[in-house]
Amino acid sequence: MEEYPDELRNPPVALISLVGCPEHHPAISSYLHSQQHPINVLALPDFSKVPVVLAKKVKDSGSEDPPGGILKRDWLLKHRTKIPALVAVLFSSLDVSGGPTQWLQVCSDLENLKAAIRPRNVKLVVVVVLQSSSAELHADGNNEDRMIALKKRAEVDSKYLLMYTPNDVSELKQSLDRLGNVFSELASAHYREEGRRIRTKVEKRGYNFPELHMRYCFKVAIYAEFRRDWNEALKFYEEAYRILRQMVGTKTRLPPIQRIVEINSVAEQLQFKISTLLLHGGKVLDAVQWFCQHNVAYRRLVRVTEAPYLHWEWMSRQFLVFAELLETSSATMQSISSFVVGGTDGTLTEWEFRPAYYYQLAATYLKKKQSSLEISLSMTDNSSEVDSSIDSVVPSTYVGQFARLLEQGDELSMQPLSDEQYVQYTLAEGKRFQDSYEIIALLKRAYESYSSLKAQRMGSTCGLEIAKEYFFLNNYVNTKQVCDDIITLYRQEGWVALIWEVLGYLRECSRKLGAVKSFIEYSLEMAALPVLPDTSITFLGFMESGPAGLPSLQQREHIQKEVMELFGKDSRDGLSAEKSTDLRLTEENPLNLEIDLVSPLRTVMLASVAFHEQMIKPSVSTLITLSLLSQLPLSIQIDKIDLQFNQPQCNFSIINKERYTSTTMISSVQKSQRMEKASSLVLTTNRWLRLTFEIKSEQSGKLECVSIIVKLGPHFSIICRAESPASMDDLPLWKFEDRVETFPTKDPTLALTGQKATQIEEPEPHVDLALVATGPALVGESFIVPVTISAKGHDVYSGELKINLVDVRGDGLFSPRETEASFLDGHHVELLGIAGAEQEGKSQGSYSNINRIQQSFGLVSIPNIKNGETWSCELEIKWHQPKPIMLFVSLGYSSQEKDSTSQKINIHKSLQIEGKIAVTINHRIMLPFRRDPLLLSMVKPFNDADQLVSLPLGESNVLIVSASNCTEIPIWVESLSIETDFISASSSCCIKPGSGPESTGSTLLVAEEEYKKVFTVKPEVDSAPLSLGIVCLRWRRDPGHHEPSTIVTTKHRLPHVNVEVPTLIVSSECPPYAVLGDPLTYFVKIQNQTPLLQELKVLLSDSQSFLMSGTHSGTVFVLPKSDHVLSYKVIPLSSGTQQLPKYSLTSSRYSAGFQPSSAASTIFVFPSKPLFKGANDRGKNLESVATI
Amino acid sequence: MIVCVAIVGHQNNPLYIQSFTEGDDALKLHHVVHCSLDVVDERVNNPKKSGPMLNETYLGLLYPTENYKVYGYLTNTKVKFILVTTDLDIKDADVRNFFRKFHAAYVDAVSNPFHVPGKKITSKTFAERISTIVKAFGLSSAG
Repeated sequence: MEEYPDELRNPPVALISLVGCPEHHPAISSYLHSQQHPINVLALPDFSKVPVVLAKKVKDSGSEDPPGGILKRDWLLKHRTKIPALVAVLFSSLDVSGGPTQWLQVCSDLENLKAAIRPRNVKLVVVVVLQSSSAELHADGNNEDRMIALKKRAEVDSKYLLMYTPNDVSELKQSLDRLGNVFSELASAHYREEGRRIRTKVEKRGYNFPELHMRYCFKVAIYAEFRRDWNEALKFYEEAYRILRQMVGTKTRLPPIQRIVEINSVAEQLQFKISTLLLHGGKVLDAVQWFCQHNVAYRRLVRVTEAPYLHWEWMSRQFLVFAELLETSSATMQSISSFVVGGTDGTLTEWEFRPAYYYQLAATYLKKKQSSLEISLSMTDNSSEVDSSIDSVVPSTYVGQFARLLEQGDELSMQPLSDEQYVQYTLAEGKRFQDSYEIIALLKRAYESYSSLKAQRMGSTCGLEIAKEYFFLNNYVNTKQVCDDIITLYRQEGWVALIWEVLGYLRECSRKLGAVKSFIEYSLEMAALPVLPDTSITFLGFMESGPAGLPSLQQREHIQKEVMELFGKDSRDGLSAEKSTDLRLTEENPLNLEIDLVSPLRTVMLASVAFHEQMIKPSVSTLITLSLLSQLPLSIQIDKIDLQFNQPQCNFSIINKERYTSTTMISSVQKSQRMEKASSLVLTTNRWLRLTFEIKSEQSGKLECVSIIVKLGPHFSIICRAESPASMDDLPLWKFEDRVETFPTKDPTLALTGQKATQIEEPEPHVDLALVATGPALVGESFIVPVTISAKGHDVYSGELKINLVDVRGDGLFSPRETEASFLDGHHVELLGIAGAEQEGKSQGSYSNINRIQQSFGLVSIPNIKNGETWSCELEIKWHQPKPIMLFVSLGYSSQEKDSTSQKINIHKSLQIEGKIAVTINHRIMLPFRRDPLLLSMVKPFNDADQLVSLPLGESNVLIVSASNCTEIPIWVESLSIETDFISASSSCCIKPGSGPESTGSTLLVAEEEYKKVFTVKPEVDSAPLSLGIVCLRWRRDPGHHEPSTIVTTKHRLPHVNVEVPTLIVSSECPPYAVLGDPLTYFVKIQNQTPLLQELKVLLSDSQSFLMSGTHSGTVFVLPKSDHVLSYKVIPLSSGTQQLPKYSLTSSRYSAGFQPSSAASTIFVFPSKPLFKGANDRGKNLESVATI
Repeated sequence: MIVCVAIVGHQNNPLYIQSFTEGDDALKLHHVVHCSLDVVDERVNNPKKSGPMLNETYLGLLYPTENYKVYGYLTNTKVKFILVTTDLDIKDADVRNFFRKFHAAYVDAVSNPFHVPGKKITSKTFAERISTIVKAFGLSSAG
């Protein structure tokens, strides 16, 4: 597009001319330029220039002569830059209103101007530049006359006589606006008139030649463009184009080749104009369709048989220009798909709206031009003659025509060219340009455009074309780079023919660049491509397959042979000198080709390794099968195969008995390795070479085959990654071929399940690890689990014992929620320590290694144990919560003393241990026998469920603490005591052990037995709540036959109590026993502790067993802080345990009733007076009976 | 005249490609067929929302090259049929008809129990049948 002249590329802009008063020209020009529809200004400083500019050539020839060409080259430029649509003449107001001389000058200038512009029909505008203020002008009557005179002289309408006031800022803007409006109106009128004038010519058929018809149409269109009437412009451009098409066959005075060149050039201009107008009008669809028609119409127009390259060049330019137009307009274009959906009837596709498509075709045509130019150049033999005759050829006055410029003295004259001269001229021009770079540039634009559209395949095709051009230019580095980029896609999608072509270029580039490795890689890949003999029919027509040649089996074989020769070659070998190539493999420069799982060279060599067993014992041999597959067309002789494992001591080599020993020395390093010999190692096409060998390993763990190194020739080897047959991917490319597929191993199950790795088991441990637990563990005690390690078979060195405690239920020993709820500071079960039987310094040190943070884990090192010896230790585990746990103990050791690298032998044991609560502690608080205080809190109980127990102040209460064994294990209770909280309890409460006999030593508690102890509690301060203290039970497990176990303290916190002042205390007194028939007195004592008078109702019920005297019912008043005693005399009537007559008291103040419990009102009646041994014992025993 | 027909598998790999030209442009036709897959991809990824094109196996004209026109057809198993022709004006109905026959032939070929799905079609019978269809197309469009 850049090669087109400016006037063609940009839409025409109206041109006006300013004459006179040159000092005002810049201001007016810049204003007109900045308008929305700008106007160009031709500023002429003085009047003498006007006739020169507007001079019209007198047509020297009559209308009978045919025109020299279709379009004049400079016509458009002339109208854009030279011939104005109107002339605005500027007169100073001083001149207009000045003296007669000045006025005469004005008049004569005006006359001259009118004469000059008349033949061109140029409009005239008179502008009077006001030098002073406008008021002055109007005030002067003389001026008005002058103005009228001026208007008459100029023969202009009054509205075209304008005032211009440059001095006043506000007026300036207005007058400039006025000027702009008038100018654009008049310019547009001028172009309309001119257009109409020529249009009439067209309509009246006022022409004799189609050239003129076409030219007129073109002019009408240009005039329409001047006034931005795009539709009319388009209509006339299309008309011109149509007429041009009809002119193709007609004869003119031009020789045929130049005639077609001229038509093509004009058509190109018209096409450019039409496309531009359509695209800028947003009619993308129409533009594309128009271009298609244009393309179809002119594509077949290869009339220039002598110079076909001219046609191709022209075609290429068409596409390039359209692509550029499309690209510039596509920025403003809406989405392309809408066009495709919107308007096509199936004839246009998506790509025809993309610039990339046109760039690509432009490149294609340019390529054609290049090749046909080469042919033409090769046919012209005498190049020197060509050069001399065409050196003065220049473009002539008509578009698309050329002529020789001859100097005849001072004059220059154009001499028409003959076709031969013209062809020579174009050939010489063609030679000057390097088309390849242009082609590459076009293709790159197409490539980038396609890439942005994610059209990889189209892009790849462009890439390949780029590569071909680079190859043509002998730029092998770039060729290789581009080819490497595009081949990936072809490989991925398996387009063999395309891969073949690209590989051909790559191979050739590598050869040219002397890159041995890539040359071999590409050659091998080519040779292994699935180009099969029976599919070669498809490829029969290949001629342009580039350096790769025809894809065929023969070619593959040829390529393979070429590479194999390279393998066999040695630097000392004389063969290499023959070939011009400097590719060689030498001892200093050996080549290792690596083939991994994604390499395209997997087709060249595929190595599958299968162990016959998935699990083997150490030092027991198993079988391993190595299978190699190649798709190379010719069979290969392998010199040596190395198998490499992750355990280097297992590596071994397979050598070809025939070739290897004779040709190469076995190096000393290799001697130490295992060598296997195979009678023949020949790899034929698509047949597995299967080799099975024994293998064994001492080291336990994974044994994996890592890579296979196949040595071909002295300096070349292929390193294949080993693959498991079970998880082997299909061969790339070959997987689409219909070929015989065989299993890599003979055994089909192994082929489906075989793995390249096997697991070597650990050596058998000859050690006993014993864990013993004696019954369930008790919460709180340090539970001892003895661990015994006895070596039975070999010694134990550098052993390590790992201990793990795991919750049986699996929710962890340290569930955070539970931990928070119960123990804020620790675990439910923790490993306290490990106590060794015979503690050495080393193992002693390791105890401290037991991390308190990892309370469920322990690690301890074991001293060396000789065969037959035993070592043991004890694990000390403490339960905080009753929980079953699993104890895992694992011992890792080695059986050799010094070999630290040797395999560790592991042995694991586990034991489930229940954790149980040993004792449960209960307590009960009672009042003294037959003494009942009335506590107000008891009268009005709160709803609160966990209301504290209330104790009366100053009374001796009885506290019974009982501990019961809830396991099956007998335990010894050492002591039971209450520890009071030091600060609160010491002064506020007095707790003493009961007055019963103090038990000495420990008491054995068997299962479900209870141990009880009585305390008296006497609150001394009225403070609520009162802490009673903590019950401490010290006990130990019954050791049985073992040594005595440690003492455990179980603590139980007693609940808080309320201390309250009792209001009334009712106590009943009677003898400890009665004798049948013996009267006894029974007292009920009421103590009023309050400072109030208390009224109590007393009710006594009869008892059948007693004869009673005293009031049955009544009301007593107890004075404040005093006692009242009720006494009854009763006589027992029957013996045995008898109920005394029951009394009940009701306090009217507190509305609280009181009735003694039946236990409190029971008395034993002896039939006769009993005889007790020893007076001392009597009282004691009876008391104890009464208290319990 | 039909110059090339091709079947392309769902990994965009060629399953069958046959050119019917005397000339030397077989490799070029490979490129043409391969490039047409871009258009198929675009059509499949941006289906036309409107009208009868929905759920249509026939993809229509894929793209014109300098000398050829490429038509496409997509089966429900994502196998693509590509037709390259040199005819400039060709009836849509003819192309549809051709593809229908082509599809039928393909279905018969892959129904062969000895054919492994996803592999290239090497059946000679299939090749003969295709060349018959191609010849018939030439006759019908010429007449």
